[in-house]
Amino acid sequence: MKKFISKIYLALIIILLYAPILTLVVLSFNSSKTRAKWGGITGKWYVSLFHDDGIMNALYTTLVIALLSAVIATVIGTAAAIGISAYRQRTKSIFMGVTNIPMLNADIVTGISLMLLFIAFKFTLGFKTILLAHITFNIPYVILSVAPKLKQTNKSTYEAALDLGASPIYAFFKVVFPDILPGVISGFFLAITMSLDDFIITHFTKGPGVDTLSTKIYSEVRKGIKPEMYALSTIMFLTVFILLILINTNPKENKKTEHIINSKARKVSKLIMHRLIPATMVVVIIIGGFVYSKTNKTVDSKKQLIVYNWGEYIDPKVLTMFEKETGINVVYEEFETNEIMYPKISSGAISYDVVCPSDYMIQRMIKNNLLSKIDFDKVPNIKHIGSQYMKQSRQFDPTNEYSVPYCWGTVGILYNKKMVKEKVDSWNILWNKKYKDNILMQDSVRDSFAVALKSLGYSLNSADLDELNAAKNKLIKQKPLVQAYVIDQVRDKMIGNEAALGVIYSGEAIYTQKENPNLEYVIPKEGSNVWIDSWVIPKNAKHKENAEKFINFLCRPDIALLNFEYITYSTPNVDAAKLIKDPDIRNSKTAFPDPKDLDRCETFKYLGTKYDRIYNELWREVKSK
Amino acid sequence: MAKKLIDLVNISKSYGENLVLDDLNLYVKENEFITLLGPSGCGKTTLLRIIGGFESPNTGSVIFDGKDITNLAPNKRQLNTVFQNYGLFNHMSIAENIAFPLKIKKKSKSYIEDKVKYALKLVNLDGFETRTVDSLSGGQKQRIAIARGIVSEPKVLLLDEPLGALDLKLRQDMQYELIRLKNELGITFIYVTHDQEEALTMSDKIVVMNQGYIQQIGTPEDIYNEPQNAFVADFIGDSNIFPAVMVHDKLVKILGAEFECVDVGFGVNKPVDAVIRPEDIDLVPVGTGILDGVVTHIIFKGVHYEMEVTANGYKWLVHSTDMFPVGSEVGIYVKPFEIQIMKKPESEDEEAIVIDE
Ligand SMILES: Nc1ncnc2c1ncn2[C@@H]1O[C@H](COP(=O)(O)OP(=O)(O)OP(=O)(O)O)[C@@H](O)[C@H]1O
Ligand SMILES: [Mg+2]
Repeated sequence: MKKFISKIYLALIIILLYAPILTLVVLSFNSSKTRAKWGGITGKWYVSLFHDDGIMNALYTTLVIALLSAVIATVIGTAAAIGISAYRQRTKSIFMGVTNIPMLNADIVTGISLMLLFIAFKFTLGFKTILLAHITFNIPYVILSVAPKLKQTNKSTYEAALDLGASPIYAFFKVVFPDILPGVISGFFLAITMSLDDFIITHFTKGPGVDTLSTKIYSEVRKGIKPEMYALSTIMFLTVFILLILINTNPKENKKTEHIINSKARKVSKLIMHRLIPATMVVVIIIGGFVYSKTNKTVDSKKQLIVYNWGEYIDPKVLTMFEKETGINVVYEEFETNEIMYPKISSGAISYDVVCPSDYMIQRMIKNNLLSKIDFDKVPNIKHIGSQYMKQSRQFDPTNEYSVPYCWGTVGILYNKKMVKEKVDSWNILWNKKYKDNILMQDSVRDSFAVALKSLGYSLNSADLDELNAAKNKLIKQKPLVQAYVIDQVRDKMIGNEAALGVIYSGEAIYTQKENPNLEYVIPKEGSNVWIDSWVIPKNAKHKENAEKFINFLCRPDIALLNFEYITYSTPNVDAAKLIKDPDIRNSKTAFPDPKDLDRCETFKYLGTKYDRIYNELWREVKSK
Repeated sequence: MAKKLIDLVNISKSYGENLVLDDLNLYVKENEFITLLGPSGCGKTTLLRIIGGFESPNTGSVIFDGKDITNLAPNKRQLNTVFQNYGLFNHMSIAENIAFPLKIKKKSKSYIEDKVKYALKLVNLDGFETRTVDSLSGGQKQRIAIARGIVSEPKVLLLDEPLGALDLKLRQDMQYELIRLKNELGITFIYVTHDQEEALTMSDKIVVMNQGYIQQIGTPEDIYNEPQNAFVADFIGDSNIFPAVMVHDKLVKILGAEFECVDVGFGVNKPVDAVIRPEDIDLVPVGTGILDGVVTHIIFKGVHYEMEVTANGYKWLVHSTDMFPVGSEVGIYVKPFEIQIMKKPESEDEEAIVIDE
């Protein structure tokens, strides 16, 4: 009975552990594109996987990094282990402790510190930095698997070899090395596994255009899950799984068989160790290199453009069209926040050619002399950008010399016409007791304070402590009425009629209105925040002319239209806006508010660390009351 | 006279505070079988490692064939070692183990094959070529280690208790084998053991060591019959060592009884140590010996009886083929030339000091 229960328990654990992976494997064979439906078994995702150049390149990079880093880490790690083993016991344990710490360290810490290190030493982030990072984190694993083997080996065998006339090097390779070989091999496989497995460290140390499978999957998945990714993940899982089996069986098997194998069998295993494994590696690298160079015809560096943009912030078709029309090869890289983008530019670790930051960040970059002036003779299509947007831009780019607006939006109130019968035109409605528990606020310092400051008639970039305190008190007063402070959920809750009023970004408002026709968006009469994301060219860009070509291309009305339809954020391109087919959208006041409404809006400005801290302090007071 | 092959001059070695070898001098002649004998921890292995080149002495030098090799790397020395813990290569077959030194010397394949076969035959392990090290018994491992040590015909073979793991029969066989090898191959042997019987059986010369000092150097006969101090006497075989007084030349007073002896030159009425081997004591009827005693203990040892006879307050160890039951009274007689007189050490320190030849 007891046995039965323990078996069930074990089975349950295994099911729990492997259910997610099994789901993934099953889905990778599902011919229907959606997860919800089973459309029969197919291998087509695997086929299309192998036809995707981007993925095949990532695969090759992954393999090369894994093999190279494992080989180098194995050499360094083994040498280190031998060095450590020569020390006295106490020094030895100190050393082992020191080498173990990086292994226990959180990956994210390792990743960020490596990135900072590379940046500090002005390394260009790219293939080499990933390789160095992988070598670094692999070394401890090698040491850890070699050290115990060294402990087991008899020191006298080395001395015996010397005694019989062997030179120290000969003695090491003939006598010591074979003894620790199982440890070296399992260290090697462990290193490969760790390298294949790693995402976080690669993510922080990679440069534009270089991807390993894991970072590739990550960026693909952010764009919506493709079934090819299931297939790829399945293959990766199996590879790591097989490697782990190899690691765990290798040393034990060696010992057991040692008694029974005759010299012939040993010769075979020797052959495998000494010839087959290295040969396979060489073959993999050569074939990979062949495929790689075929798909990735050597890029003429003059014909290149390195783009650094927000995720999901361009229609992929646009990139292909640009490449076709100009013959310029686009290396495309994405960032999540301005704050992640900024240090990469300011450090000069990577020379991007064209970047799309937000207003306040552009102000900061201009101030810190990171941007170069755009030659507008090369960007004639600038004429399609509405003058009101150029005017708005002057808040952060006073001379209009550094940036070309790309997307913009406002912050306003989204309300449900069924629930709010009165006219909504002021922020003050968010303080109306009638709507207690029906109000949604943004869970973000600057956005919340913008609402309060504007409702009091102040600038949303206020640096006046009295004004800020007044805003704080006003927010505290509002707290009992607020249903929740949220970010993305404003959208979903408003669509679901779960709240009457919410503070929202115009881009999201457009989307909610499509889903729920009762929703209305207004920019309150006191004014609000307008944000603008614009293209800029960093000072250290290597292909400035290509960047200008690219900006000019994006300003072409047909292209701007494609991007608008893909991104759905308002476009500053007035001629593109005229081309929008759907009249509801073309005439939408949400997407394209009246210029007078816009005039009352301000962009956020970078206030410096001191005010950052004050804002955060006040916001904490609000939240904790 | 054969020449000095190895000469150790003023060798001292200490590990931290622990002085293991203290100003040691020793030479080994060509084709000699020399044994280092001493209790555990007395520095035998250390001395061997200094000769082999695995340790360097704090002071002194190692002269090999007239050349100073004190700082020469082990692999450059023309001597091989059979280590106390074998030092066999686990991942190689027996044949590969033995062939190791030959391969380094870049010998031809057929030469190596022949030599391996020959070496295996020498140690009575023919046909073991393809066996693995793990599959051997302790004794077989030791013999393989010996085979590997001699196969490249070094000038000197250092052996560190090579027969420790063998049973008595096999050990005796191997002792004869080693002597035969020495004679056949003309190799000089430096042999370490703490088994005094083994030392007496095999050696041309025995070096008795204690606490880093050489106590006595001599042929097995010298060492056994004329131990130069109580330590050597006690360490080599069983002995009765008595505090005694040299009355005058050729007369010694042991426990109040006067014994005739053959030793001269110790002075008059000087305290000395007298050594009498247990097999040199004759038990005779009461009253006919030099003094009388009572048998207090008896053990049958195979070839002889080992008895304890209490006489004049001392327990005398006696080996005899005649049996005297416990409680029987006996007389004790010792022939003059069976008594060995030794100078008494004047201080503790002197007890362990070097006695140069
Ligand atoms: N590497 C070392 N570090 C410190 N002390 C050592 C070292 N090697 C040997 N010793 C010490 O030196 C002394 C002599 O050791 P050695 O191994 O020479 O003894 P031995 O005569 O060979 O003994 P045995 O008969 O037990 O093998 C011992 O006290 C030992 O503890
Ligand atoms: Mg020893």
